[in-house]
Amino acid sequence: MASVTGGSLVLFSTERAQPEVDLASLVKTYSRLLFRVAYSVLRNRSEAEDVVQDLFVRVIERRQSLHAINDMRVWLIRIVWNLALDRRRRIRPEQLDESSEESLAANTMPADERMSEAHRMNAVLREMERLPKKERHVLLLSAIEELSTEEMAEVLGRSESAVRALLFRARTRLRKRLEG
Amino acid sequence: MINSEQAIEKVMARLREIEAPLGMERRILTAVEERTAARTVAPPRWVWRAALAGTIVACSFIAITAIYRYGLLSTQTHYPAVSADSLSVKGPVISAQKTSLLPTESIAQTRTAAPIRIVRQISTANAVLLREMRAPSYPAPTAPLTNEEKLLLRAVHTGDPQVMALLNPEVRARQEAESEAEFLKFVDSSTEEVRE
Repeated sequence: MASVTGGSLVLFSTERAQPEVDLASLVKTYSRLLFRVAYSVLRNRSEAEDVVQDLFVRVIERRQSLHAINDMRVWLIRIVWNLALDRRRRIRPEQLDESSEESLAANTMPADERMSEAHRMNAVLREMERLPKKERHVLLLSAIEELSTEEMAEVLGRSESAVRALLFRARTRLRKRLEG
Repeated sequence: MINSEQAIEKVMARLREIEAPLGMERRILTAVEERTAARTVAPPRWVWRAALAGTIVACSFIAITAIYRYGLLSTQTHYPAVSADSLSVKGPVISAQKTSLLPTESIAQTRTAAPIRIVRQISTANAVLLREMRAPSYPAPTAPLTNEEKLLLRAVHTGDPQVMALLNPEVRARQEAESEAEFLKFVDSSTEEVRE
């Protein structure tokens, strides 16, 4: 059961009839972070927003078991990460945002510098796509500044040492490919 | 090397600094509210499950009943059920069909002076049932003799000529006639002695 009270959507458990989750505060707190996670995989704004929206719909569907979740943040990131990967498998490469590289470039630069920087970023992103899947995933998650190694390990279902090793290998391999 | 490292760092920095579209939070909340409203209008999932379970139970019941009835009908072709009122007839009641099916019994009953009243036309199935009910019951055929019984018979029937002769009806009738004649002769002689 859900009710809109003062602009916030409060979810009630049908069993205990007590407010368990304030969805509005969840959206406000985590939607930007979750959007970045989804965008790092999809590199498409509308697709990333769709994934985040899908995530919160799933949160509603599982509202009765939310009280059993220890770390809501990691749980949400893990779900949105998996949803984004799933969405990425279904969309074609040409559906990726063509102007994402340009949007990644700083807007304050002059046009020519911005163009060349976008070109460099495009090359880096292309090489990142060619990385082995495990290394690419760790590298993308490491881009999310707020995530610690422990949280990354929890999201990916690996040990912390494995995550560190994968991250080291990913950066080394990427650097070598860019230089070569 | 520095250039590549810088390029990687820049890409990572841009990925982490990417801004969410304006109004995303509002759109998400609206979508979730719409979804929630749709879910409250729609019956809960357990209702569908209960309805499905009920349908399965009803279908099973109907199927079992149909199978039971079909099986009963197949047996009723030989032994059909008869309602109580069809059997609750007063006095000797014989239907035309029954009369045609059981000629000997109908003849025997027409010879009697009791009035015969046809109450109603009994259906063919009921007539068959009545015929089955009123048919004379035959005892089971005798079981074959056991070895002990055969030995006993052999010991009793030793093949005595007198006994064997008694089994012949002509000899037996002649013997009885002779014994009767002797008895009459004895009676006559005894009466003459009494007169004298």
